Amino acid sequence: MYAQGQDGLMNTYRSPWRNRTPRTYALSATIIGFYCLLYFTDVLEPVAQAVKLQNKWYLYGALYCVFMTIGGIYMLRTHGNSRYHKLRITVNILVQIVLGFTLPFVMPFFGGKEFYWSYFWPLKYDYFFPDTLWGLPWYMALYTLLGSLVLTPVLALAFGKRWYCSWVCGCGALANTFGDPWRHMTSSSTASWRFEKYSIHAVLLFILGLTGIMLVDGFGGKQIGWFHELAGQTKWVYGFFVGSVLSGVIGTGVYPVLGPRIWCRNFCPMAAILGITQKAGRFRIAVKPDMCISCGNCTTYCEMGIDVRAYAQQNESFTRASCVGCGMCAHVCPRGVLKLENGALELNTDKAASGQLSIDF
Amino acid sequence: MDIVIIGNGAAGMNAALDVRKRHPDWSITLISEESDHFFSRTALMWIHSGQLSHADTEPLERDVYARLNFRRVRARATGLDTTAKKVLLAGGLEPVPYDRLLVACGSRPRPTPFWSGYGELAGVGHFVTHQDLAWYEKEVHGGPSLAGGPPNAEAHLAATTEDSPYQFRPVAAEKRGRLAKEVAVIGGGLIGIEAVEVAHAAGLHPHFLIREEWFWPMALSKAESTWIAARMAEHGVQVHLEHEIEGLNGADGLVTGVKTNRGDIPADCVVIAIGVVPNTEWLGDAVERDKFGGIVVDEGLRTSAEGVFAAGDCASVRWFNGVQRPEQLWYTARDQGKLAACALMGDAVTYKRGSFYNSAKLFDIEWTQAGLVGFDLEDQEETYLEEQGAVRSTIRVVHRRGEVIGFNLLGRRYDHTVLIRWINERRSPDWVLEHLHEASFDTEFVPALSIAQGGR
Repeated sequence: MYAQGQDGLMNTYRSPWRNRTPRTYALSATIIGFYCLLYFTDVLEPVAQAVKLQNKWYLYGALYCVFMTIGGIYMLRTHGNSRYHKLRITVNILVQIVLGFTLPFVMPFFGGKEFYWSYFWPLKYDYFFPDTLWGLPWYMALYTLLGSLVLTPVLALAFGKRWYCSWVCGCGALANTFGDPWRHMTSSSTASWRFEKYSIHAVLLFILGLTGIMLVDGFGGKQIGWFHELAGQTKWVYGFFVGSVLSGVIGTGVYPVLGPRIWCRNFCPMAAILGITQKAGRFRIAVKPDMCISCGNCTTYCEMGIDVRAYAQQNESFTRASCVGCGMCAHVCPRGVLKLENGALELNTDKAASGQLSIDF
Repeated sequence: MDIVIIGNGAAGMNAALDVRKRHPDWSITLISEESDHFFSRTALMWIHSGQLSHADTEPLERDVYARLNFRRVRARATGLDTTAKKVLLAGGLEPVPYDRLLVACGSRPRPTPFWSGYGELAGVGHFVTHQDLAWYEKEVHGGPSLAGGPPNAEAHLAATTEDSPYQFRPVAAEKRGRLAKEVAVIGGGLIGIEAVEVAHAAGLHPHFLIREEWFWPMALSKAESTWIAARMAEHGVQVHLEHEIEGLNGADGLVTGVKTNRGDIPADCVVIAIGVVPNTEWLGDAVERDKFGGIVVDEGLRTSAEGVFAAGDCASVRWFNGVQRPEQLWYTARDQGKLAACALMGDAVTYKRGSFYNSAKLFDIEWTQAGLVGFDLEDQEETYLEEQGAVRSTIRVVHRRGEVIGFNLLGRRYDHTVLIRWINERRSPDWVLEHLHEASFDTEFVPALSIAQGGR
């Protein structure tokens, strides 16, 4: 009946599954172990075949959908009286099941190529490498180029990065469903913000450099032996450390103890680009002046560690590059102070990027 | 320059921050009996349920005192020596000298007319301070959440007095060896509703005892209150209206029920939430106080004593309608604290109170109020509407001689600044009802406001 606002009080800190307890550390270790087996061994291959799936990656895709759906049900039971969450989580799960699992699964049967329609460069970084591009049918190559270079920035200008990070992206979708019980574990300390600033832009520079190298490689650099070798090694280093360790093993593995958006907040190069675009776009969190009681629900339940309360206390509507527009701050606010909106187009200047702006002087 | 601030809350901390911004070298001392850290008192209910940790309710990082060189004293102030310019402390601690003093010691629970003596019965308390929270958590949950209690929770016990509102209350659950099953909450204000809500969140079906014909008459009309009471009843809350409290029953030092004019209500935990009063008795005659206990201040927040200012809940200021009384709101405490900082630094300041507004959430029902509601002015009329559709909401527009003077809105979110602008523009009731959707602050995808024609 009520279409907004948290319905009922949460018992977050009274649940041993939602705090740093031995069992959440054990859960974290289990997830890390699973990703290590998946990425670095073939022990999951026989399991995949036993359930009649082509290979371990299809098994992973299927498990991904299952955990997301279970997490999605949990999420909507906890916060589901909000229309925004209902729509968003439904779209998330459908995109993942249809574009992230079923389509890539069935396309090879129809003579097509396995292709993930919901991922773009630089998150799916090899889609921009000439070797990959040349191997795609022309319409997929065109889609990936237009999707990365036109669609992504245009939608981010219009609606903020949330169109991707909170509605489409598979990583974000897992974070907001399976990872939702731990969103309060995200640190909102100034130190965590300082780390994020450097780490996410370092990964962005890395992928820009790697893409450049791969382009040179694809357009003739291959002929030079040492260059081709360097390109191959750089690609391996990125794939191992960023593609596997940071996005999978760490990114998902630490959900129960450090919160569900460690990858998105600190390392995802797609989020970095979307964030920069978002700052120039229309999206913002509007603050209703002088109504905030500083309770801290918004800051606590922000999965990106943004100190939303500090802005609310300063009566300052704002756009933060890291904000994925999940809508939780507006949802848990007991005074209706916050509202996500696509405002008029204006350049947003971030006066108070620090996590603790009222004492930032 | 020695600046001393009594109180570590919204008023005191905002004053300290603003003084420090301009004067890096002044000595600033914050005296607080209740807590080591500045926290949001309005968030106590979420700590109780486990939705927030203590640290979550602290707007500033804990190193702020060290980083900004604020001296912190965890003790009860017991008096002022305005001649020697010293704050007296309990526990035989050395008095703290000041050049300029800000009293921002907030509110305390209203003394209970029907009962006295916390020592007599375990299981009776309030829901205003950190110490009350600790007591109520022990009664209902057996203790704090996994996030723990506040740091140095007992640091003030060495320097406090018997009558302090920051005393820990005796816990019936510990003596009985069983958690509370039947919670009774006395008093139908916002704190009472919160105390009921947290008991409900713990799986209990609390008794809600209200003296008046409906609860929170200060803010709600009978129709609105009935509308919310129906929601509470759906949640299993037992609302008892028109119950005058006569006393508490007890046996073996444990509370067993509430005596009312309509018979006894059994209870093994009683929260008395009949309002708050300025926390100022300790000042005695050192500064002038009004009949509510508020410290009388002029428009520069100056008290009757030289170099002593007051801000926040404990200060009695002049309201927009000319009345002198305390304003017990979060945002007024913050604004007064910031203004007091200027006053402490010697600026000429004027405190001007704007139109009244407030908001809250009563269970899952959003509430916004703006302008003059519940003042019962001459010629006052009201238009009341209920929205019955995808969203259920109520609208009460208060008007006088064709001009809107106030709004009381339930079930949706509104931007009070728009409502106040309309009041200042002297809009007609018909005009505001037609434009009400423009003041909406609902989240995205919430169906637009739709009021059935002829529904008035």
